[in-house]
Amino acid sequence: MLPSAAVFRFPWELTSGGVQDGQSVRTFGRLVDYQPEESMATLSSQHASKEHRVVVHTMFVEPFNPILGAQYIVLGETENSEGVGVTVRARVLNCVDGVNIALLQKAIEEQRNFFREREHKKADAAQSVDAT
Amino acid sequence: KNISLGLAEEPPSILWGLDPLFSAFVRLYVRDILQMAESTQVPGIYFYNLHPVYKVDVLGTVVYKRERDDFFCYGVDDGTAVINCLCWKSDELKTEDPPGMERSTLADSSRGAPGGFNLLKELKELRRTQQEHHRLEIGELVRVRGKVKTSRHQREITASIYYKVNDPVMSEQISWMMELPQLYREFYDKRLQLEPDAVGYRHANINSLHRAKNMIKDFLEKKSVSRFRPHDVQDVLLPLISAQPHSPSAGPSAGPSAGQQLRQLLKEALQVLQDDGFVYRRVKSQDEVFLVTTRDKDLLMAVQDVIREDSKREKYAEKGCHVLHILSAVRQRFSLNVSRAALELVLSSLECSSDIISPSDQHYIAV
Repeated sequence: MLPSAAVFRFPWELTSGGVQDGQSVRTFGRLVDYQPEESMATLSSQHASKEHRVVVHTMFVEPFNPILGAQYIVLGETENSEGVGVTVRARVLNCVDGVNIALLQKAIEEQRNFFREREHKKADAAQSVDAT
Repeated sequence: KNISLGLAEEPPSILWGLDPLFSAFVRLYVRDILQMAESTQVPGIYFYNLHPVYKVDVLGTVVYKRERDDFFCYGVDDGTAVINCLCWKSDELKTEDPPGMERSTLADSSRGAPGGFNLLKELKELRRTQQEHHRLEIGELVRVRGKVKTSRHQREITASIYYKVNDPVMSEQISWMMELPQLYREFYDKRLQLEPDAVGYRHANINSLHRAKNMIKDFLEKKSVSRFRPHDVQDVLLPLISAQPHSPSAGPSAGPSAGQQLRQLLKEALQVLQDDGFVYRRVKSQDEVFLVTTRDKDLLMAVQDVIREDSKREKYAEKGCHVLHILSAVRQRFSLNVSRAALELVLSSLECSSDIISPSDQHYIAV
């Protein structure tokens, strides 16, 4: 069985609660904290002069080499746990330190714009077909 | 719903090769690969936006892995969907131990390799690198090129090339993400403009013109017509006009009437027959009288006369009169409107009846 696609989500989209429970996502952030005994890591990122923290369950990707302060990409399923907020149960956790985060954001936006544009076109086409 | 859409919109297979995407590894989003409609004409061909596609190129994270003796099965996630990629193992991957030939190369290399170049070591290194690039773990980035296949209702890619992509700072993934929307906008989402312009419209037109020409020709031959006016043969073309489907571009009000179409087709067909030399007009006047070239006794006589007279002249006696000389003479003495094509038909007709002979290429003398 193949897992479902992990769609790019910005960390601030996860923390704002816009993502449903159990969704497959991928996101990024700086590793600021790792608790091996609890299998919990914290990724942090800055957006609109605010810090956003995403908690990551690392049980499935252990053992891994935690480099505090480095950029990581996480790919997994969202979980809403009491008291912690949104967490991601990681299937993949890769260190990508040195990544151009601004460019990555742009690429994600580009891709989203493209899909939005295409949906609009499809909707327009469907409408014009209905009209005739 | 999808199937009926595909049936109706699938371009005919004869046009597929004209689409550059058909011969390319198309860089589609995995989601699109999963949603493409399979061809009803040829299984194994898929359509993205009417583009025939059977080979794709994807880059994504391995999120699933299964290993068999002969192949790996990787689930590749590009952020839009996940697809199974069947990746055959090369022989090197199947056998961990190097084959027996290694020993002889070892002997060769140890003898004739200065500067510490050890072929066996290099080979081992090469094999190790190859293995590393083909044996992937979950979380690693893979590039797969291959054919799209649907087996047991599951779409997958049978890889012809696959390798691990080292992307420590995500530059490969980012540039891929930036590039794909461009490719879609510029190529994949644009319809190939073949059918209306290059193939469909003109093809139908040439076809009907060709048929019109042949119908008139058949009619003239069957009835042994030697001279006619356009309206005499107009009705011959009637079946073509009624059978011709209306082109979608011409609306009911904008399109020409059947009568206009008929006259236009007739005009074009007669022009083609004139260009071929099959018919000609001796005099160009309001009264359009066409003469069937090879049935025009006067023209045949005129040509024969020119050849008979001029081949008596010393200049042409041996070699015969050149076709261009005959043409200018006929134009001077008989009619300015005789084309070279018409003259050539007359000449071959005269030659067939042995009234003239051709001693050399393009030269004729009277018998």
